Order: sequence, then C-alpha cells, then structure tokens
Amino acid sequence: MRTSVTSSAIIHAVLLGWGLLSFSSPKPMDLANSESLPIEIISDTSQLQKGDTKAPKAEKATPKPTEKPQTKQDAQIIGDAETDVETKPIPTTKPKVVEAAEAPKQSDVPAVKPDPKPELQPETKPVPVLATEIAPQAKPKQDVAPDPITAAINDSKPAPTPDAPKAEPTPQAEKPAEEAFKLPENVAKPEDKPKPAQAQTATTPERKEVKETPKPTKTAPTPSKEKNGIADQVADLLNREKASGGGAKRSTDQASLGATKSTGGSKLSNSEIEQVRALIQGNWNKPVGAQDYPDMIVRVQFRLNQDGSIDGAPEVSGSGGDPTLLRTAIEGARRAVLKSLPFNLPQDKYQDWAKNDYTFHPGAED
Amino acid sequence: MENLAVAVQTSDVSLWGLFWQAGFIVKLVMIGLLGASIWTWAIIIDKVLGYGRAKRAFDRFEQIFWSGQSLEELYRNLGDKRTTGMGSIFIAAMREWKKSFEKGARSPIALQMRIDKAMDVALSRESDILAARLGFLATIGSAGPFIGLFGTVIGIMTSFMGIAGSKSTSLAVVAPGIAEALLATAIGLVAAIPAVIAYNKLSSDAGKLTARMESFADEFSAILSRQIDEKLAPRS
Repeated sequence: MRTSVTSSAIIHAVLLGWGLLSFSSPKPMDLANSESLPIEIISDTSQLQKGDTKAPKAEKATPKPTEKPQTKQDAQIIGDAETDVETKPIPTTKPKVVEAAEAPKQSDVPAVKPDPKPELQPETKPVPVLATEIAPQAKPKQDVAPDPITAAINDSKPAPTPDAPKAEPTPQAEKPAEEAFKLPENVAKPEDKPKPAQAQTATTPERKEVKETPKPTKTAPTPSKEKNGIADQVADLLNREKASGGGAKRSTDQASLGATKSTGGSKLSNSEIEQVRALIQGNWNKPVGAQDYPDMIVRVQFRLNQDGSIDGAPEVSGSGGDPTLLRTAIEGARRAVLKSLPFNLPQDKYQDWAKNDYTFHPGAED
Repeated sequence: MENLAVAVQTSDVSLWGLFWQAGFIVKLVMIGLLGASIWTWAIIIDKVLGYGRAKRAFDRFEQIFWSGQSLEELYRNLGDKRTTGMGSIFIAAMREWKKSFEKGARSPIALQMRIDKAMDVALSRESDILAARLGFLATIGSAGPFIGLFGTVIGIMTSFMGIAGSKSTSLAVVAPGIAEALLATAIGLVAAIPAVIAYNKLSSDAGKLTARMESFADEFSAILSRQIDEKLAPRS
C-alpha cells in the first residue's frame, strides 16, 4: 500500500506541476480581435449587417443590390397592366371578392334587366373589389338604370372592339363596358385601384350607372351563404391576396460577403467606449474630497486625429461641487486625457471617435 | 489596444494564484479533494496490482492442485508459507481435516460441516481483503462532485459579496472569484471521475475473483466429502 500511495502522490505532484506551469499565465483576451457581443442590436440603430453569402469577401458586408423597380405611369387605357396596352391583360391573381362568385347567376333570375348578351354570362368572373364597396350608394339610384340599358343593348352590338372583353367580369359590367366607349378613363380606374371615394363623389349620370351595377352582387351573398355555408366560409377564410412582400434589402454597393466581423459597424461598441472611459479614469488623479460632492460633473470633449493623437486641446467643463475642487477636477481631467494619449482605437470606426464627449462624476465613481 | 487592456486591474489567475486567493473554506475543500484524489489513485494502483497478483496466484495454485499431487503433500508444502486466496481456503480446510482425524472423528456429517464452515470463514476473509477500500472509491465517486460544488458555491457567494462591497459590476472584479470557485468543482470532478470508473472495474474484478474462490471451495468440499466417505466407511 505504501508504494501505491507514494506513486499516486508522485503522479499528482507531476500533474499539478504541469498545471501550474501551463496555466501560470493565461493569454489575455485580445479585445481588438474579439467580436464584441452584438448588444447594439437592441439599440434602435442596429449595426448588424447581412452580407451576400455567395459574394466574395470584402471589407464591408453589403447585400446584393436590388434594382429599383421602374415606376411607370398609370395605365390610361384599362386593366392592371403597367403599361398601356390595347388589349386587356389577363389578371394573374383572382379578384378578391369571394361571396360574389355565385352572385351573377342568381342575380340573373331576379334581374329586372334583360340580358342582351347571354353568351357573356357563362364565363362570368368574380366581381372586382370595387363592386361590393360602392354598393350601398348604388341602391337609391336604381331608377336611372333602364335608360342606359336600352342604350347598352343598342351599343353592345359592336362588341368585338378591344374594350369588349372587359364586359366579362360581371354581367352587370356590360353597362360599364358601354360606358367605356365614351369615357375609358372613368371605367379603367376603378378596376385598377379600387378607390370608392372617387366613384362616390362623382355625380355625373354616367357614373351613376357605374355605381348602379354592383347592386345585384350585394344582394347575392346572402342566398349563396345559405346554400353552401361551409364551402363559402372556407372560401372566406382563404386569403387569395397576392403577398406583397417586405421591404427590400437595399444597398448601392457591389454585393459582398463582408469581413470576419459582421457586427462592426462604424460606431464604437459599448465596451470600447467603456475602455476609453476607464483609461481616462485610470489616469485621473481625483482631487481629495471629491467624494463629498457626488453631484459634481466634469464633461470632457476632445477631438482625435486618425493616428490617435489629440487634435487641439481637450475642452473640459464642469459643474457642481466646491468651486476650487471643481477647478482641480477639471485640470485633473484635462491632464488625464493628455496622459491617456494616444488612443489606440479601431481605425475603421474613426468617424465615431473623431469627436469624443465623456461625462464623469468624480465624486460618485470609485 | 494594449493601452486600453492595461486599464483593467490585473489579478493573478495562475493555478496557484487562484488557489492562494481563495477563501478559507474553498481552500479547505480543494485540499481535501486533492488528498482524496491522491488516496483514490493509491487505492487504484494498489488494487490493480493486487488483483493481478491474486489472479496469477490462483492460476498457479489451481495448476498445482489439479496436477495430481497428494493433498497431504500440498498441505505440508503450503503450511509454512504465507498464503492468500485459494491457498488460505485450502489450508483452512486441511487444518480442520487434520485436527478432526488426529482427535479421531466419528461422525462424517459433522466433519463435513466443520470443514465447510472453516472454508466459508476463510473465503469471506479473503473476499473481504479483495474488496477492502473499494468503498472509499464509491464514496469519492459520488460525493466528490458535491464537495467540489460546495466549494464553488461558497466561492461564488464570496465573489458576489465582493460585488456588493465594491459596488462595481465590472467583470474583472468577479472573474477571478468565479474562476477560483470553479477550480473547486474541477478538482472535485478530477477526483470523482477516476474513482467511479475504477470502482466499477475493480468491484467487478473482485466479484470474479471471489466467485472463482467459491467454486474452488465447493469443488474442494466435494473432494473432501468423498475422502471422508472412503476413510470412515470401513470403520462404521
């Protein structure tokens, strides 16, 4: 047993000795190379930058530049198209109105107006958004309808004109279609951007007719809901709107992956600011008795050159406390700043530390 | 940057520095755990060597025992030597056998029982020797981390009290205290991990050796039982 005890003790002594040697001087963390904790994210101005992963490395991380979408003038003729086209474009998304899907068929039957063109009815597409929105006002002005209808019957014969397809969306749209012959702008606009306000304010007899059209669709939803409730409820819940997407990540620079530090930014991190502050405090011989005036404030402002040397003299001002003590503190702070030179701060953040402004409480701080 | 790094108050964070700055209780815990570690390894070394020796001795003894040598002769050879393991069991049984025949044993059943008892006693004594001090390994294995943790908790408590006292939350104030506290847990784990591993290994080894002795005792008991029958049958 004695031999094993001694051998065990020897092994421990050797291991401890090795530990003492290897752990004797731990390498101090290099603050310059360590990425500061991205606490800045919490602040209102995030310094975090996202680069493009496929792009080569560069000094600064910049995402892929996004092309600014070309803004085009509003189409003058008809439809959703970005440019003016002669024929109406086929919409990529379905129009929004859901309940009204069945409306036309139902409205056919109770419709007071005879349909001049039955061939247009079968491929009735859902009524545009506008239709339901302006419905309420449409009702009282029903009486105006008959006249345009008769006119429409007469006018609708030359249908093959480019404007004719527009009549498809609703059976009621025939009347707007006829309208379109006279005033294309008026009809096209409500379809492009549903602005009911515009349509409502309009008082011209022609527009009344436009408003009048949605009336049947308004009445339609109730019977259709009763008919197949679940299907329609599901249809209600489905969001058929096209995703509009978030804001683009924009930058005007060449796309790049960015440097090893992604949280660098151009602002000094809190720890770097604290280091400067601690350096100044360390070099500052606080006047004796400063502890008695915790409200004493010393403000130090100075400019720095790119090489860390001071540009001009530090401006030190102070307030509170005993006047003579304050003067001593101000002088001490000035000397502390000069003594702390040169400041060795990250070059890429020079813009942030070119001008420095620190406030000290010589009484309150240790 | 070196300029700025200097601003932080430096403290000795070497292994010795950490130990030396630690509080009294933490120091005590560390020293205790270090001692436990030394003793653990002493036991491990001792047991590993001892089991190896015992295994070789068993092999040798079984070889001699089954070589056809007469039991009397074997007993005479072994009688004056210090024996362990199987040898001790053999000697205990033979001694009882001899004593009984010298006094003129009459009852074969009583003789058989006496021999079995003598062998049982020898067996339990031998297995006790084999398993001795293994309990310490188990204790260190289970309690070591807790003792270390105790030191850590005390150390961290002290460093938080330091924060409260100095009113400074700088990491540089807390870091040495926490590092020294964690050293206590580290030592606890260093002591406990080998202890647990060694305990499992050694206790299974001891179990194997004991089983081997038991089977030998059974076999020898059977042989002696046959002998008793042969010797006592003509007289009765």
